[in-house]
Amino acid sequence: MKRLLLALLLLLAVPASAAAGGIPGDADGDGVLTSGEYALAALAYLDAAYMGGAGDLDRTDIQDAAWVYARWDGKPREVVDSSGQTVTLYRPLRRVVTFTGESLETLRSLGFDMDRVVAVDKYSHEKKTFFPECQNKANVGSIWSPDMEKVISVRPDAVFLYATISTAACDDIQKRLEASSPVIRVFRFDCFKPATYADEIRTIASIVDAPERGEEFASFYESTMDRIRDGTGTIPDNEKTRVYFEYWFDYTTVAASAGYNEKTELAGGLNPFAVGTAEYPVVDPEAILVADPEVIVKLAGQGLAAGGYAGHDPEALAAIRSALIERPGWTTISAVKDGRIHVIHSDILGGAQHFIGTAYLAKWFYPDRFADLDPHAVHQRYLTEFQGIDFDLASKGTFVYP
Amino acid sequence: MIGLPANRLFCILLLSLFIPAAVCGASVTRTLSTTEPGVGEVFVVSLSTDGIDLGGVVETLPAGYAFAGTDHPDDRVLVRGQKIGFAVMNETRITYTVTAPTSGSGDITGTWEDFLGETNGEIAPSHVAVDGIETDPEKSAEKPAAQEAASPFAVLAAVAALLIAGRGGRR
Repeated sequence: MKRLLLALLLLLAVPASAAAGGIPGDADGDGVLTSGEYALAALAYLDAAYMGGAGDLDRTDIQDAAWVYARWDGKPREVVDSSGQTVTLYRPLRRVVTFTGESLETLRSLGFDMDRVVAVDKYSHEKKTFFPECQNKANVGSIWSPDMEKVISVRPDAVFLYATISTAACDDIQKRLEASSPVIRVFRFDCFKPATYADEIRTIASIVDAPERGEEFASFYESTMDRIRDGTGTIPDNEKTRVYFEYWFDYTTVAASAGYNEKTELAGGLNPFAVGTAEYPVVDPEAILVADPEVIVKLAGQGLAAGGYAGHDPEALAAIRSALIERPGWTTISAVKDGRIHVIHSDILGGAQHFIGTAYLAKWFYPDRFADLDPHAVHQRYLTEFQGIDFDLASKGTFVYP
Repeated sequence: MIGLPANRLFCILLLSLFIPAAVCGASVTRTLSTTEPGVGEVFVVSLSTDGIDLGGVVETLPAGYAFAGTDHPDDRVLVRGQKIGFAVMNETRITYTVTAPTSGSGDITGTWEDFLGETNGEIAPSHVAVDGIETDPEKSAEKPAAQEAASPFAVLAAVAALLIAGRGGRR
């Protein structure tokens, strides 16, 4: 009888913790939802919902309590993001805002319920083919020009920002969010860097409680990247393939600090223009002739609109390639003489899909070493199995030429 | 021997029987030890909650019928008038007993929620009638034999219900 009375009295205390922003149902507020507390929370909800009682727990509260009790062992989930900050979750994420397309794409790879993404950045919003489900979501602008009113209006419980790029803009957004609501959790992830992406996949999988899917996706990603690293890691510098990587703009290349250079080097390329502090330096045309690259890679994308997910247009990429060959003096370059000029779209090299583009680079640089690597198959599997979109590469999009 | 079209029809009929259950996922069914209890008889109600790891069930008894007890852990049960709430925590079956009134008929109704699966539904009504005699629902609010000497559990639950009702919202 005493036990029952105690239980019923505890029932009265259940809503307090929910109101305080902790784990719903954690009646004593000690940060752990015990079996007894969960049971009382469930009864409090049933009482309010069906039995004429007047409890505070609503359906979302009890569903979140059940999630925490069943999947997080009744405890808050602590996550260290890529900026090094520890973020504590007391509930599963239900209303997510992403300011980065890479985080959004990674969430989709992890099977996250996209209905729980309530707003996205303007660039993801514009990608009608790749993110069709985001067309009706709120558009919160970009990290450089965020629509903070829109962000607050969608009542997010989590917002994703970059960790190591555009840090000033992202820091500012984070400060404004944290000042506006204590319940908004801000996560900082890049999701485009080869050095950190596998770990970020697993961490985000932990946030959305999809560890198995996270491991599956991280393993898929690592299988490609490890294959490339293993295939190029032992090549001495003096035997590496000399590569001229041209950015969207003519005679603009990538230097050591640029992400595209990192991928070029991962694929075993030796970039003669890697030195220098500028990320995307303009090079003297004569210097390219002197460097005599064995392979030339031209980037298409935002600054050189052609191909990508938006359109099936191999002719456009072919035209870009032809224009390169016709540049003054280029017929003397080894890459041109050997026909080793390739165009690649930034969709598969610059963001979360960088492993696909890097696989193409490796295959172009070392066709014999990577004879068994099939970037096209990797790409299709990624889209079908992990992104879950109906996109047949045989008839849609153009990403490389040739 | 059934011909090919008949075979197909049979298969379709079979599928039509099974598909709804599969699509809906969890659901709760109720069985009674008797649907025609005698006066004051205590009968058993069983709820199958298979497929619900964490959820809840609320049963509503017809007027005059009284909750008598349950084998469900007492900290997972709440009684308020004719309604009984059960917190489901990995059980596959909940059994409770009901005391029949001196007369009266009606339906035991119920609703369930699967908190993890985020689904809910109604439990098919179960009709009960004392001695099988149907009565006018308007006149069936007769006191049950057992309600005159309510169990300590029911009294306690009623006190709790009053406290809860008087508490109001906190947000």
